Amino acid sequence: MQYPEQFDVIVIGGGHAGTEAAAASARMGAKTLLLTQSIETLGQMSCNPAIGGIGKSHLVAEIDALDGVMGLATDQAGIHFRVLNASKGPAVRATRAQADRTLYKNAVREILEHQPNLQMFQQSVVDLVVENDNVVGCETQMGLIFRSKTVVLTTGTFLGGKIHIGDQQQSGGRAGDPPSIALAERLRALPFRVGRLKTGTPPRIDGRSVDFSELESQLGDDPRPVMSSMGKRSYHPKQISCHITYTNANTHQIITDNLSRSAMYSGAIEGVGPRYCPSIEDKVVRFADKSSHQIFIEPEGLNTTELYPNGISTSLPFDVQLQFVRSMQGFGNAHISRPGYAIEYDYFDPRDLNHSLETKVLEGLFFAGQINGTTGYEEAGAQGLLAGINAARKCQDKSPWEPRRDEAYIGVLVDDLINLGTTEPYRMFTSRAEFRLRLREDNADQRLTPMGLEFGLVGPLRRAHFEEKLSKVEAFKKQFKGTCILPGSDLDQKLALNLRKETTLEEALRRPEVDSEKISKALDKPLTEENGDAHPDAQALKQLEIETKYAGYIKRQDDEILKLRRHEGMLLPASMDFSQIDGLSNELKQKLQHHKPDSLARAARIPGMTPAALSILLINAKAASKNSTKASTL
Amino acid sequence: METDQALNNDLICAIATPPGQGGVGIVRLSGEGAHTIAAELCKNPLRARTAVYTDFFDAEELLDNGLALWFPGPNSFTGEDVVELQGHGGPIIQHRILNALCQRGARLARPGEFSERAFMNGKLDLAQAEAVADLISSTSIAASKAALNTLKGAFSQMVTAIALDIANMRVRVEAAIDFPEEDIEILQEARVAQDIAKTITSLESILAQANQGRLINSGISVALIGKPNVGKSSLLNALAGEEAAIVTNVPGTTRDLLKVDLVIDSLPIRLVDTAGLRESDDEVEKIGIARAKAQAMEADLTLYVAAADEITTQVNVSDLGKNLASLLGSNDTAAEMPTSNILLVINKSDLNLAAGAPEDVASVRVSAKTGEGLDLLKKAIQESVGFGQENVPFAARQRHILIIQDTLAKVNAAADALAQNLGAEFVAEELFIAHQCLGEVTGIVTPDDLLGKIFSEFCIGK
Repeated sequence: MQYPEQFDVIVIGGGHAGTEAAAASARMGAKTLLLTQSIETLGQMSCNPAIGGIGKSHLVAEIDALDGVMGLATDQAGIHFRVLNASKGPAVRATRAQADRTLYKNAVREILEHQPNLQMFQQSVVDLVVENDNVVGCETQMGLIFRSKTVVLTTGTFLGGKIHIGDQQQSGGRAGDPPSIALAERLRALPFRVGRLKTGTPPRIDGRSVDFSELESQLGDDPRPVMSSMGKRSYHPKQISCHITYTNANTHQIITDNLSRSAMYSGAIEGVGPRYCPSIEDKVVRFADKSSHQIFIEPEGLNTTELYPNGISTSLPFDVQLQFVRSMQGFGNAHISRPGYAIEYDYFDPRDLNHSLETKVLEGLFFAGQINGTTGYEEAGAQGLLAGINAARKCQDKSPWEPRRDEAYIGVLVDDLINLGTTEPYRMFTSRAEFRLRLREDNADQRLTPMGLEFGLVGPLRRAHFEEKLSKVEAFKKQFKGTCILPGSDLDQKLALNLRKETTLEEALRRPEVDSEKISKALDKPLTEENGDAHPDAQALKQLEIETKYAGYIKRQDDEILKLRRHEGMLLPASMDFSQIDGLSNELKQKLQHHKPDSLARAARIPGMTPAALSILLINAKAASKNSTKASTL
Repeated sequence: METDQALNNDLICAIATPPGQGGVGIVRLSGEGAHTIAAELCKNPLRARTAVYTDFFDAEELLDNGLALWFPGPNSFTGEDVVELQGHGGPIIQHRILNALCQRGARLARPGEFSERAFMNGKLDLAQAEAVADLISSTSIAASKAALNTLKGAFSQMVTAIALDIANMRVRVEAAIDFPEEDIEILQEARVAQDIAKTITSLESILAQANQGRLINSGISVALIGKPNVGKSSLLNALAGEEAAIVTNVPGTTRDLLKVDLVIDSLPIRLVDTAGLRESDDEVEKIGIARAKAQAMEADLTLYVAAADEITTQVNVSDLGKNLASLLGSNDTAAEMPTSNILLVINKSDLNLAAGAPEDVASVRVSAKTGEGLDLLKKAIQESVGFGQENVPFAARQRHILIIQDTLAKVNAAADALAQNLGAEFVAEELFIAHQCLGEVTGIVTPDDLLGKIFSEFCIGK
């Protein structure tokens, strides 16, 4: 049967990409349907129970700036908050939270259930409805057909999933989820390039069997950060500690002795694992000189005793897992509640996507999340948000939003994927962002919220919050500019400036040793907490501090980077036949034909590109555009 | 931030006239601020589309004089602000003018870049576009060949080593930023500071060793060394093509250093004639001989001049070394002198003696008197300093030096950022740009390459 109502956007999959996509398109007013195998598992954290961290929290801040779900849900569910890199500069400070899985899931579901324009339906999707190379809907297991203008596919690792526990294998998505075979068959029949990746999880441990007195304990930060710019500490549930233990010589011996039984080392696994998240087998083999590895013991939640030992993902057989887990300090009697496993899965080569995340193969079909070869909730959520926005914009006959690399980590993420593809599960690192100094957590709202308002993506609450912040920053700026400090004056002494001549408060703030806290104290307006939350002016004042201190530096860095680039905005016509361009090496011709960059900027990031080749492309593009103008005026 | 317009008309400069000695040498400057820095060099106001007769200065030093022409954009060849400085030609002067411009914010244009800009700004028609692309393609091939040539040898090894040092520093700093929780002491600031200091020293020494400053300012220096009366001064005159040195047949005529600047096929050369090396009681001559020895040590190339009748037996490297050592009066000095920097010149070939042929010593037979073999000598001089045809390596080399200067500035900035405690990402940023600068010579290292290095060096991963 065909469902009586038609939708603008159908999102298939209810993970982190799917939920952000569905919520985003619904916020923009598109009539949205979220199809999931299980409404119970919406927003499920299938890997480690943490959100944020370096590079990742930047993505969360961007999702948050566009009024997305992840930051808000984290403040509802976070049971342990820290700021990483607190001692480094503002661009690389990153908030991270351990989240209670159940609370997180509940928070996501609550947000979705209160979202106007969004409906949910629980059923596996078995096929897409395609008319004239346009996706116009999908069909569920029971033969129900939903029609829509666009479809966003966020089905994670469902394609060709194979789980390895030692020498045992089974087909499957994440442990416990059935793989959706039919849809996979359908997609395989289309001309998408498919690659294979692998990832692993550690065995989970029952906390009742662990002796915590033997573990190092790690407290959350005080003062406690919040994840969303609209978050409050009062939203946070009870806070608990994490713990740290270490592997030892005995652990390593057990692993070494059983290497041949690891799926990875026996050759049973063909997929490529992430370099930044090696299995414990890999660590022991590749870094044989290290006698010990640090293992973070993350709580799975407040109402469960299950623990996630981060750092021992493995594809060794269960008996070996039990043996090496029990060799670690505090884990002598540990009970494994779920065995660790490695999973191999297929992903679609993201080079078959446009920067809008719409596929090049079928119009109206968008891909987001792990299906594109990424890893991580934050990476998935960011793509979901973008796909949701662009699916909705397509329904509104608007051009897609393609965030630039100097605008957002989302831009870096998508641009990297679409230009270069990936050979390992792609994870965000700040070192991927050449405009790192400007892409900060603290200014994500200033970078993106205005855009979100323009798209109709940002609700009235966030708008008010954002405008208030801006006006506060502006007011402080004015005040600081207008406040003169005389040598020997009260302020001079309180701030220990040792002035020789008169200066302004703004100038004083530029000094490395002066910060917003010191100034507010000196002004007798200390930023004390109010009702357990940060002072309402603290965020704005900190913002002013960062902008004032680093503005010159960031500008200079921008100039330096821009000097290295030229004419990056120049678009390359889709019809350009790179193989016919004289003066390019054959190798570059092939690479260009393969990547088919649509702008000079994107061509510039293809490995092996040279300045001379870019000049040649530039001239050919310009000539082509002149030609077409000529043709159209004739 | 818009990434397009503003950065596309940064200031570029290049020599617009063909390489070599000519009546007029034009240095062209295009882009935003061309007028300002040209006026600074001229210490004279420029007038639009009017030739102004003026001196060209680098700060207080007079470089040349000639005409300065200012074509305000868009009515210029490139469509941007263009200034032409028309001086007296000669690569030495022109390169010094380029240097002065680069120190004030201009950069050397890439091959074909003026034409490219002209095309982009609609100053060339569509039919010419292809020609421009061809030009860029062919000149860049020549330039990259040339770059490759200069990249052979010690210079390239040093640059590659520095690039590796910077990569390793970046690995540590970036790892500290992206993986602060790993139980490894990645960023020990003291160590990074040490590494940065070491890199600064390396970059400074490469600049010193590359000799490019001297090459640009005075050309390569070639010392004529030999026993008295073997015809050193005659040879100098023959090369210079003019009577620049006093030439007599009384041994010891040249008592002091005589320097002549000349240009051989566009390679600027400072030829230094020295006092004939011999035992002497004359105080003045003794001083001259001491200076000759010092000159032999400093020169980029030493022409060891011997008369044909002096070389009557087989000669090999060790003979030459010994000969030179005894002439210079010290075994040590001779040992320090790489024989690759010595060219044996057998003069007076017109005497027509059946002289012994040197075996494995680079040698040229010439006659300063008849001019026989002079062309070969000129070619040998050029080759000995890696100077090929078309003047391209010279420009390529200069480009490399400028890149190394830029790199040095960035590494210095990284040191400052570290000293000021600005935050690791600021240090990282300076190193990133330094690495990018050097990447123009050694190839760009992508973020993914760097991550790969991090993961292979440190056990990262929870």
